[in-house]
Amino acid sequence: MSSVCTLLGKEITALFASPIAYAVIAVFLLLLGYAFTAFLFLNKTATLVHIFFQAAVLFLLVVPVLTMRQFAEERKSGTLELLLTAPVREFDIVLAKFLACMAVNVLLLALSLTYALVLQAYGQPDWGPIYSGYLGLMLFTGALVALGLTISALTANQIVAATISLGMFLVLWMIDTLGSLLPYPFDNMITSISLLAHFTPFATGAMYLSDVGFFLSVMLLGLFLSVRALARR
Amino acid sequence: MPPVIVADRLSKRYGAHLAVDSVSFEVAAGEVMGLLGPNGSGKTTILRMLTGYLRPSSGTVQVAGLDVTQAGPAARRYIGYVPEDAPLYTQMRVHEFLVFMGRLKGLARSSLHDRITAVCQRLELLPLLRTAIGKLSRGYRQRVAIAQALLNNPPLLILDEPTNGLDPRQIIEIRQLIRTLASTQTILVTSHILSEIEKVAQRAAILLNGRLLGMHVLGESTTTPCLRLTVRGQPPARVQACMLAVAEVLGVSQEETHGAVTAYLVQVQHPHVAEPLAAALVAQGFGVLEIRTVRLDLETVFLQLTRSEAPV
Repeated sequence: MSSVCTLLGKEITALFASPIAYAVIAVFLLLLGYAFTAFLFLNKTATLVHIFFQAAVLFLLVVPVLTMRQFAEERKSGTLELLLTAPVREFDIVLAKFLACMAVNVLLLALSLTYALVLQAYGQPDWGPIYSGYLGLMLFTGALVALGLTISALTANQIVAATISLGMFLVLWMIDTLGSLLPYPFDNMITSISLLAHFTPFATGAMYLSDVGFFLSVMLLGLFLSVRALARR
Repeated sequence: MPPVIVADRLSKRYGAHLAVDSVSFEVAAGEVMGLLGPNGSGKTTILRMLTGYLRPSSGTVQVAGLDVTQAGPAARRYIGYVPEDAPLYTQMRVHEFLVFMGRLKGLARSSLHDRITAVCQRLELLPLLRTAIGKLSRGYRQRVAIAQALLNNPPLLILDEPTNGLDPRQIIEIRQLIRTLASTQTILVTSHILSEIEKVAQRAAILLNGRLLGMHVLGESTTTPCLRLTVRGQPPARVQACMLAVAEVLGVSQEETHGAVTAYLVQVQHPHVAEPLAAALVAQGFGVLEIRTVRLDLETVFLQLTRSEAPV
């Protein structure tokens, strides 16, 4: 566990030492703030449902920027050799990078809580959907980070890692529209891997264990594949 | 004492390309061994298998009695590794990097500071502890890479082309450093430069195209005795046959020819063979212009071993 803490410290320092984390936070909050303000003034409703969907779409774009460098940069600069020949397990390295990316995501979500506080100050929001929305976003970003790390572990090129991750995220987000065009049982199969289909209940205040299980499964699969990608050498 | 490294029929295959072909060797405790070979001969791949960075396609490698592939982190604790070109986190300061690596290697916080000070003192890095690694010269980066390898005082130090890209002064300093470290560590060092291995190692493994061609023990007392003869007489084949007929002559190879005068390199069991050898040549009517004892150095061994293997 001490290896994970050491590696996590190094990853968080690296993220915040570079302008990437600050650029991501600034752009995310600017766009989300714009969406929140516009929706609030247009609809005058104390809800964050639309903000959760907006945040999910922004995470689809932001997470590849965070994960692209994690292994690709280390592989390209040769420092991955230092890490993998140190007396630490591949899993520790993957877990530290996962937690570091999640730290940025949690910070983004924590900062976005100001919107909920604004609603509380000027209205009477229903806190149930807000809690479930934030839980959904945490699970959703966890799944994205794990998948993004897998792609980063497979290449030494950051741009390739970001592009493939973005493409994969967008396909998984929108794939339920393809499901509606397919006959039974293929429509169900396709819908069952849709990120949007599993995220929607969280955003609208309905939590299902199956959706929690889906995101946790994707997260574990991504972490497992990242470890395998590192071990394949 | 058991050997620190035991590599047994180590092979690494990338698709159809066999990068390392059934290489076996041992490195004894306290020994400095060099892996010598041209670029692409498999030196780095072998080191990467020894350090656990690459998994062998076949064969096994043990460090301090532990299988590197099976034991993983436990075996890697015994190894201090400096990869080729010293990859480092250039945004970190020297002290920050060494703290990070020290903690990864399992050093306790209480002993880490003392250990960093001791290693940096040895490598003359103390004045640079607060400097960003990216601002250091190549020579100092190499020192920082060696410092991280020494932090947990591992019994085995593996250096991949440690003098690559350094200026002459830095090369001398790193060479001197390796000699100093040899008093406390077993060292495996690679180079594609003959003289580098000759100056620091006690034994050299010669590699070409992923195969181990031979081992050569370095040092004056252990080299094969040889005579270099300059002989006037034709044809050279007859001269060689005459020399091979003399007892204790192990082999003759023709070197350069200028008209009727040819130089030969003669491997003998003992340099005293020079006298009967000269007598035999004179008796056959050849003129012996010069005889001198030469040391069969690493360069000669390397050329002899690689002559038949080198691509045309």
